[in-house]
Amino acid sequence: MTAIELKNVSKTFGSYTACRDVSLAIPEGEFVTLLGASGCGKTTTLNMVAGLEDVSSGDILMGGRRVNDLSPVQRDVAMVFQNYALYPHMSVARNIGFTLKMRGMDASEVRRRVEKVAASLELSSMLDRLPSQLSGGQQQRVAIGRALVREPKIFLFDEPFSNLDASLRMRMRAEVKELHQRLGVTSIFVTHDQEEAMSISDRIAVMNQGRIEQLGTPEEIYSRPATRYVATFIGSPRIELAPGIIEQSHGTAVCKVGSTAIPLPAQTKPVEAGRQVEVGARPEYVKLSDGKGVPARVRLVQPVGPTTHVTLDWEGGTLVSSVPGFVRLAPGTATYAEIDPSHLLVFDRASGERLS
Amino acid sequence: MSFARLQHGGPFRQTMILVGLAVFVVWSAGPVLWLVISSLLQQKALIQQPPDLSPANFTLTNFTTVVGAAAALGRGIFNSLVVSLFSTAVALALGAPAAYALARLPVPRANGIAFLILATQMLPGIAIAIPLFILISKLGLIDNVLSLGVVYLSFNLPIVIWILRGFFTSIPVGLEKAAAVDGVGIFATFWYIVLPISIPPLTAAAVFAFVEAWNEFFFALILTRQHAQTVPLVIAQFAGQYQTVFGQMMAAAVISVTPVILLAILFRNQIIRGFADGMMKG
Repeated sequence: MTAIELKNVSKTFGSYTACRDVSLAIPEGEFVTLLGASGCGKTTTLNMVAGLEDVSSGDILMGGRRVNDLSPVQRDVAMVFQNYALYPHMSVARNIGFTLKMRGMDASEVRRRVEKVAASLELSSMLDRLPSQLSGGQQQRVAIGRALVREPKIFLFDEPFSNLDASLRMRMRAEVKELHQRLGVTSIFVTHDQEEAMSISDRIAVMNQGRIEQLGTPEEIYSRPATRYVATFIGSPRIELAPGIIEQSHGTAVCKVGSTAIPLPAQTKPVEAGRQVEVGARPEYVKLSDGKGVPARVRLVQPVGPTTHVTLDWEGGTLVSSVPGFVRLAPGTATYAEIDPSHLLVFDRASGERLS
Repeated sequence: MSFARLQHGGPFRQTMILVGLAVFVVWSAGPVLWLVISSLLQQKALIQQPPDLSPANFTLTNFTTVVGAAAALGRGIFNSLVVSLFSTAVALALGAPAAYALARLPVPRANGIAFLILATQMLPGIAIAIPLFILISKLGLIDNVLSLGVVYLSFNLPIVIWILRGFFTSIPVGLEKAAAVDGVGIFATFWYIVLPISIPPLTAAAVFAFVEAWNEFFFALILTRQHAQTVPLVIAQFAGQYQTVFGQMMAAAVISVTPVILLAILFRNQIIRGFADGMMKG
């Protein structure tokens, strides 16, 4: 059953359009991430789902029912905010229990539920503390507790980890994912961190300029990006694209980059000769070789542990290769880069759409 | 605030900062100190040139005389308390919701309205004195403590609105969004979330308004006779046509200024936090 459905939802602020024609259907229990750079409309979309922002046009449905005009409470959503938004004058226990108290729940029942949630988030020893006496990670857990205690139908996360340091962010990511596996509550998560989105989501909606560029599983988004924008936004290190032109060679289409002719992958859509394109491959499909592939020169070597990122200069510009383990290469070394043709990504230069 | 920052920079810089602070302290505290000294001096020692500050000339007579003739001063203090508390309390009660609405609710032309409210304070008091006098005397409310309180309210309210509006604007929007998602309406958000975290600026605004009303002289002079006189007027009466009893006047001033100073000391931290920017950032 569809828990949340957005039908051609748009949002304008004066002459500025924050979201245009966003359509998205989220089945019950799914974890969907809205991913994009700042200003792409992801938080606005989330706020509209929450009921914190009016919809300019289009419909939002929850459980098949139109909720455009319902308040956040009537929609039964709980939300975790980027700045935690804990009430600074209330203890942890009061922060978590406040929403229940405002619903007129019996004090002893409020306490029981607060304690239960606190125990599940390892906050039991901190119930009497004020938010200012907690670390960032603890504050964020209180914020999650405040959302959990309601036992809502839908969870919304607005960049909840962006104020945390890297290691804590990884831990909280795992905690949220486990929480979702345990409770199975339909969730929408907003982030600008593509790695976070990949690791946590069932599906990702990549947003750009108020539109959804692509909606798919992390694997689809990564391996088969629909557009050049998605390809370059997702993946670390970033994929490098080189300008090329489609040519016919011995009856098959190839992509010509400078003097190099690169065979197109088998599944490429039929393209006419002369089409301007951009080509590239994810760094793990670019290998260093002793004589095969295109001639290149080492510019930069960045070991990161499991792999080493080698940045190369070649005829087409820049190319990044991800080599397992550590490699010793001096900048300036001449080498060859071999691109796995089955993983070549080819984009139309004008429209940015993927052709391969 | 700590003085750790003084540690930075060379000795010259540090000396200059300390000299600057010392000048400021003498500038602010000097008159108060002189007020206290002259309230304790005998009249003849005080009016000598220069004043004779030998210990033999110090006395508590001025205070005993003033307290002895306490009827006038006592009534003055009582009137000042009523007027100041009334105008402060009402200014806060009306000003806080108004400031919140102007800061956070979708009020059309909120900035324009806020400016208009401030603009009411741009007329010099003398410009409205005569119409105000005519109005209040036609209402038969001359020499009435509460009518004076309402007049004070008219200049305390805009100040309170401006102080609080500035603070409310700095409260993270996330708090209100969280409250909305938690199922809290506008009034409950204001009451349970906004007001409790606004205690420092509320205190600052309250002290400011109280002191304004407590010290006010001009409108009290034209709008009261005997019954509703406030402290500044009572003190002024020690300056007679033929002789000014400086010692007693100063003693009365010390008595009247004490509550204000105590108030400031008592709420010192709240006042500093209230006026300091960025308290809610991060």
